[in-house]
Amino acid sequence: MEYLGLSLALFGAALAAALAGIGSAIGIGIAGGAAAGVMTEDPNKFGSCLILQALPGTQGIYGLLIAFFVLNKLGLLGGAGAVALNWNQGLQILASCLPIAVVGWYSAIWQGRTSAASIQMIGKKPEAMGKAIILPAMVETYAVLALLTSILMLMGVQVG
Amino acid sequence: MGVARLKKAELYYHKSVHEQIAAALQETGACQIISSGEENHQRPSDIEALISKNDEILADVRYLTRTLTPHYVDPVPALDRMLGERPEVTMAELEELAAKTNLKAVCDNTRAVEHETGEVRLKLSDARNTASILSSLGFFPYPLSVITEGTKTLTGLIGTIKPENVGGIRAALGDFSKYAQDTELIVAPFSEKEKPAEVYAALIYSRSIEDEIRDICAKNSLSPIEVPSSLTGTADEEKERFAGIISELEAKEAELAGKLDALAQENVPAVQKLSDYYNSLSARYNGTAMSDETDSVMLTRFWVPTDRADEIRQKIEAISPETELTLDDPSPDEEPPSLLNNGNMVRPFNILTELYSSPKYRGIDPTPLLAPFFWIFFGMCLGDAGYGIVVFGLIMFVFRKYKKIAPGVKDFITLFLFCSVSTFIYGVISGSFFGNFIDAFLPPLIPLKNALMLVDPMTNPMQVLGISLLLGVIHLMFGLLIAAYDKLRHGEIIDAVGNDISWFLLIVGLCLYGVGLGGMLPPHFVQIGGAMAIIGAVIIFIYAGKGEPNYIKKVINGFLALYGSTSYLGDILSYSRLLALGFGSAVIGMVINLLGGLAADIPYVGWLIAVVVIVGGHIFSIAINILGSFVHPLRLQYVEFFGKFYNGGGEPFTPLTLSQEFVNVKA
Repeated sequence: MEYLGLSLALFGAALAAALAGIGSAIGIGIAGGAAAGVMTEDPNKFGSCLILQALPGTQGIYGLLIAFFVLNKLGLLGGAGAVALNWNQGLQILASCLPIAVVGWYSAIWQGRTSAASIQMIGKKPEAMGKAIILPAMVETYAVLALLTSILMLMGVQVG
Repeated sequence: MGVARLKKAELYYHKSVHEQIAAALQETGACQIISSGEENHQRPSDIEALISKNDEILADVRYLTRTLTPHYVDPVPALDRMLGERPEVTMAELEELAAKTNLKAVCDNTRAVEHETGEVRLKLSDARNTASILSSLGFFPYPLSVITEGTKTLTGLIGTIKPENVGGIRAALGDFSKYAQDTELIVAPFSEKEKPAEVYAALIYSRSIEDEIRDICAKNSLSPIEVPSSLTGTADEEKERFAGIISELEAKEAELAGKLDALAQENVPAVQKLSDYYNSLSARYNGTAMSDETDSVMLTRFWVPTDRADEIRQKIEAISPETELTLDDPSPDEEPPSLLNNGNMVRPFNILTELYSSPKYRGIDPTPLLAPFFWIFFGMCLGDAGYGIVVFGLIMFVFRKYKKIAPGVKDFITLFLFCSVSTFIYGVISGSFFGNFIDAFLPPLIPLKNALMLVDPMTNPMQVLGISLLLGVIHLMFGLLIAAYDKLRHGEIIDAVGNDISWFLLIVGLCLYGVGLGGMLPPHFVQIGGAMAIIGAVIIFIYAGKGEPNYIKKVINGFLALYGSTSYLGDILSYSRLLALGFGSAVIGMVINLLGGLAADIPYVGWLIAVVVIVGGHIFSIAINILGSFVHPLRLQYVEFFGKFYNGGGEPFTPLTLSQEFVNVKA
C-alpha cells in the first residue's frame, strides 16, 4: 500500500490530460468538418476557419497543464525522485484533477459544436468574424473556471 | 474622439461634368452616397448606359481572374502582398492600360485553350476506358474485328460470366450440336483454387444463329460488354496503339496547361490592375446612379465628415464653377452612418468595436472606454516579458520592412504592438520571462527578477485572483457609470438612478463593506459601505416595482430585481479568467523549459534537442496564448462591459472608394 497515494495522484493526472484531450480532439474534429465544408465553397476562408477550429483546443492544453502541475508536485519531473505521499494526499490530488478532466472533456465537445456553427456563420457572413469568435469563447469560460478550480485545489494540497 | 460628425451634402451639377464629379467624389474616399429613397427610382439614362457597358467588360475581367489566377505564379510571396507590397498605380495610368489592352483577345485566347483542354480531357478519358477494357482482353487470340465488325458469316461477342456458369454454357452449346462446329467459346484462364467473381469470355458464332446464341447467353448469365468499334487488331496490338494515343493526348494536355500558364503569367498582372479599375468604375457609376436628374442638371446626395467638406467643395469647384453644394446637419429623424474618429493611440482599438457592432451616430463610441481595459487584460493573459519582447520585435521588424501596409491591416497589427507592451510590463511584475526561463537557465538574473516582482501568481495565486476580481469590479462599475451618463444625457434621470446608479451603490458598497470587515480598510468604511449598499438595494427594490399598481406584485418585482445581483456575482467571477489564462501561459512556458532541460541531459545531441524544444515550444506557446489572450479579454468587453451600456446597432460609414483588391490605386 506504500505507493497507493502516488498511484491515485498519477491517476488524477492521467484523467486530466486524457479526458480534456479527448474532448478537445472531438471538438476540433467537429469544427474541422464544418471548416472543410465552408472551404469547399471559399478556400480563402482558411485563416478564419482555422482560428475558429483551434478554439476548442485549449481544454486539451489545460488538461496537460494540470497533469504537468501534478507531476511537478510529485517530484516526478527531473531527477529529484518522487515525494512520499499517503493515500489521503493522493486522493486529494485526484480530486483536484477532476474539475478540468470532466469539464474540459465535455466543454470542448460543446465548444466544438458552437465553433462549427460559427464557421457556418462566417461561411455566409465573413464580416461577422468578431461575433463568431465570441460564441465559442462563451463555452470556454467554464473550462477556464474549472482550470482555475483545479489549480487552486492543487495548490492547497500539502505534500512532502 | 468618438463618432465623427457628418454633414448631409446635396450637390447640384450640370450633366456634362457628371463623370468628373463622380470621379472626384470617389477619389476623396469620404463620401457615402445616399440613395434617393424612392422605391422606383429611375437611374439617370447616361449612367445606365455606362453601367451596362462596364458590366460587360467586368464579366470578361472576372472570367479572366477566375480562370487565370490559379495558373499564375506570383513572383512576390503572398505574405508580402498581404503586407502591402503591391504595384502602385494612378487612375490615369489604369485608364491608359485599359485603352491599350485588348481584353477581348485575351479572353478569346483563354476560352479557346480552355475549350481545347476540355476536348482533350474527354478524349483522354475515353482512351483510358478503352485501355482498361483492353487490358482484360489478352486471352482473345483473334483480331478484335471479329467482334466489332465480324466476317461475312461469323460474328462474336465478349462478356463477363461467373466461373460456375462456364460449364453450363459449354453444355448448352454442346447440346446445340448442329451449330457447334460453327461456334467457339473462349474463356479467359482463371485459377480453380481462387475463383474470381467473374471472368471474361468470348463467343464466336455464325450470324445465322445470333438469336439462339443470345438466348443461351441470357440463360447462363453471360452479359456482353460494349467493345469500342474502333478496335480491329488483336488485343495486344490495340493495347500498344492506345498506349501511344494516351501518351499523345497527355502530352497535348500538358502542352495546353503550359499555354494556360503562359497566358496567366503574361496577362494576370494587367488583368488584376484592370479588375481594380473596372470595379472602381462600377462602384462609381452605381453610386452616382442614385442621383436624381432633370433635363440638364443632376443632384447627388451624400454623407461627408464635417472636417472633409471643405476639401470636397474645392475639388468640385475646380471641376466646374456651375455647381452648388449645400451642407446640412442631419435632421433628428435621420440616422446617419457612423464613422469612428479616434486618435492614434485609440484608433487601433476601433476594430474591437467594429467587430461587435458600430455605435449609432448619436450613441457613445465605446472604443476609448474599452481600450485601456483591453490593453491591461491582454497583458495579464499573455503576461510574459519574453513573449512581449518577441511580439514587439516581430511587429517592429514588419513595420520597418514593409512601408505600404494597408491602413486597416496596420491598425490591427498596431493593436498587438500596444498589447505587447502591457504583456512585457505584466511579465516583469509577475516575474515571468519565457515562463521560468530565468530560474531554470539564468540563475544569476534571479535577484533582478525578484527585485522587480510585485505579484507572484505561482506561490500566491489568491493575490492575483483578488486583483483580477477587483479589476472586474472597476470595469463593471465603469460600465454602469457610462450607462448612467448616457441616460442623464438624454434626460432620463429616473432610469439612470434606478437602473445604473443603484447597482453601482449596492456593489461598491458591498465591496467596501467586505474589504472593511476584512481589516484592509479603516473601520468606518464598513459603515459607509453598508449604508451605500442599503441605499442601492432600496432604490433597486422601489424602481423595480415602478408602474405596477398591485402592491404584492411590486414587492415580488422588487425581490426579483434584487435576485439579479447573482448575475453581477457571475460577471465579477468571470474576471478570474485573467488569473487562469496568465497562469496558463506561465505554466506552459515552464513545461517547455522543463522539457528542454530534460532533453539537455541526452548525451552529445542534447543541447541541440533542447534548443529545438525550447524555441519551437515557445513559438507554439506564443501563438496559442495570443489567441486566448485576444479572445477572452474581448469577451470581457463584449459580454460583461458592453452588457451594461452598449448595444451598437449603427450602420458603419461606407464611403465610395477606389477598389484596391490587387493594386494600390492612387487618385
